[in-house]
Amino acid sequence: MKIDISESGDVRVLAFEGNLDTSTSPEAETRINELIDGGASKLLINFTQLNFIASSGLRVLLATAKKLGPAGGTLGICGLNPTVQEVFDISGFGTILNVFETEDEALSAF
Amino acid sequence: MTEIKQKPVVLAVDDTPENLDVVKGILARDYTVKAAINGQMALKIVEKAPPDLILLDIMMPGLSGYEVCEQLKANPATRDIPVIFLTAMEQTTDEAKGFGLGAADYITKPVNPPILEARVKTHLALKQSMDELQAAFGIIKQQKDRMQEELNVGHTIQMSMLPQAFPAFPDRTEFDLHALLKPAREVGGDFYDFFLLDDDRICLVVGDVSGKGVPAALFMAVSQTMIKTAAKGDASPASIVTRVNDALSADNPTSMFVTLFLAILDFHSGCFSYCNAGHNPPYIVHADGGLICLNQRHGVVMGAMEGLAYGESEGKLQEGDALFMFTDGVTEAMDTEGQLYGEARLEQLLEGVDRSGAKPLTGAVLGSVERFAQGAEQSDDITILAYCARQSGEAGSRDSLDLTIDADLARIAEVLEKAQAFADQAKLPTGVGQKMGMILDELLNNSISYGFEDPSGHEIDIHIHADSSRLTLKVSDEGIPFNPFTLNRPDTSLSINEREIGGLGVMLVKEMTDKQGYERLSGHNVITLTIELNQNNQ
Repeated sequence: MKIDISESGDVRVLAFEGNLDTSTSPEAETRINELIDGGASKLLINFTQLNFIASSGLRVLLATAKKLGPAGGTLGICGLNPTVQEVFDISGFGTILNVFETEDEALSAF
Repeated sequence: MTEIKQKPVVLAVDDTPENLDVVKGILARDYTVKAAINGQMALKIVEKAPPDLILLDIMMPGLSGYEVCEQLKANPATRDIPVIFLTAMEQTTDEAKGFGLGAADYITKPVNPPILEARVKTHLALKQSMDELQAAFGIIKQQKDRMQEELNVGHTIQMSMLPQAFPAFPDRTEFDLHALLKPAREVGGDFYDFFLLDDDRICLVVGDVSGKGVPAALFMAVSQTMIKTAAKGDASPASIVTRVNDALSADNPTSMFVTLFLAILDFHSGCFSYCNAGHNPPYIVHADGGLICLNQRHGVVMGAMEGLAYGESEGKLQEGDALFMFTDGVTEAMDTEGQLYGEARLEQLLEGVDRSGAKPLTGAVLGSVERFAQGAEQSDDITILAYCARQSGEAGSRDSLDLTIDADLARIAEVLEKAQAFADQAKLPTGVGQKMGMILDELLNNSISYGFEDPSGHEIDIHIHADSSRLTLKVSDEGIPFNPFTLNRPDTSLSINEREIGGLGVMLVKEMTDKQGYERLSGHNVITLTIELNQNNQ
């Protein structure tokens, strides 16, 4: 699991590589929380290089969205491969999170 | 039989009319006495209406008493009529001659009336007892013939419980099998069985019930039925044998038992697990003639003691290998001098045996045993079951991976890495590999986080198998009995703030696989998941 963090305007872009699962979710949550605690309110998570996401990864996304929402922040997610897309569809996360096809599309929506 | 009770008929034969009168005087009150004054006349009377007893003088003109007696005894119709010699001769040699001819008794003249009466009465009573015994024997023989008939029917029924049509699975190209059972008596205690569990696995059984005859056959029928029932929905030989042993032991007043070898074999991969309960160890006959004796034992005979936990072992057949199972009727077959056929002879035969198919193999072994026995009476049932692995699968596209890890969250990453390597090597579609990783992560996480009061010291077994049509994942832990698929589906229509995560992982697993199974086997939770490798999963 690798997380590459960059900035695009006032949006922090987190590019995930590998799996977001039981082993890697705690680290991902720590990194995200560091950003939020540091004042970031617009986060875009790019899953283009993500292999799969498990329910522990969904839990991190849900916690992040819950944290940003009341503070007026936004969480965007883009670049879902078919397997990740299927998980989003089954779990209903595709409808409760802001999901975009590409990073450009996502950035223009912030 | 007549309604009126008639007096018994006594025929007195004497050439002296006075003697006949004496006899008549003594016996007429209780018997109908007929008289003959010579041998020829006596034979004529007997031929017309056989009397119940004959008093026979020896010294007579014409036919002597000896000759008359000889003729009577030679004729089946008259030989059972008791003959008492009644004569003045006193030498013991004459007496012996009379008995030698089949006489019932010997009375010397002059006749003592109470003695004559008593002897006649005794011999008539003896004759009656003999008649009754013979009638009883007739009935017994009739009954015995009927029992024999029923035993023959029993044998037919017993054999019909065993699958006997070969080839048994003409559509299966993955394997070839053949079995034969040669009973020592009409009904015996040996049995074999084989049946498909699903599209991948076959269950193979060989057993030998203690004892012979009807009790053994009945116990065999019960055992076989229980095994077949237990094997449905139970993938573990150890679990099947453990459960059947409990059932057999619980109600076994006659203390019969059965030795058993049971294997469950994946005919695509050749992998099999087996449990041996006090049975002869089978052999793997390799394609090159090499021989492996499966001498792992997993417990005592079944039916002896309740509550025993049986174990199991694993093995693998390559293409061209055969699994050879048998009962001790093979190795304990005796020749006319009482020598045993023995393991060494069997092993030697198997090393050079015709491996072109299962039938030539079983035939070769039975032929060898029969030639060895040289017509000596078969002392025990002979049962042979041979399974030959034909194709271990389409080259390169089938494989399996087995892993065992400590129940520790930190070990999951290692499993996912190896599973990914397996997916790459088996050339599974990318999406299927991703799903497999996700599913394993969910299952292991659930098991380790919630399955144990304290996971330390526990292990989890993971089995992954892929063939050209499907991917199968099996995760087995010894945690608290729990079927995750009975959980309620979480409400996925709720908004972010209402969301709880619990149960989501199980739901993802359920939705992303084509088949889910849960079994509690030998103290383990066993979850089996299948993903079909069709267009939808490319």
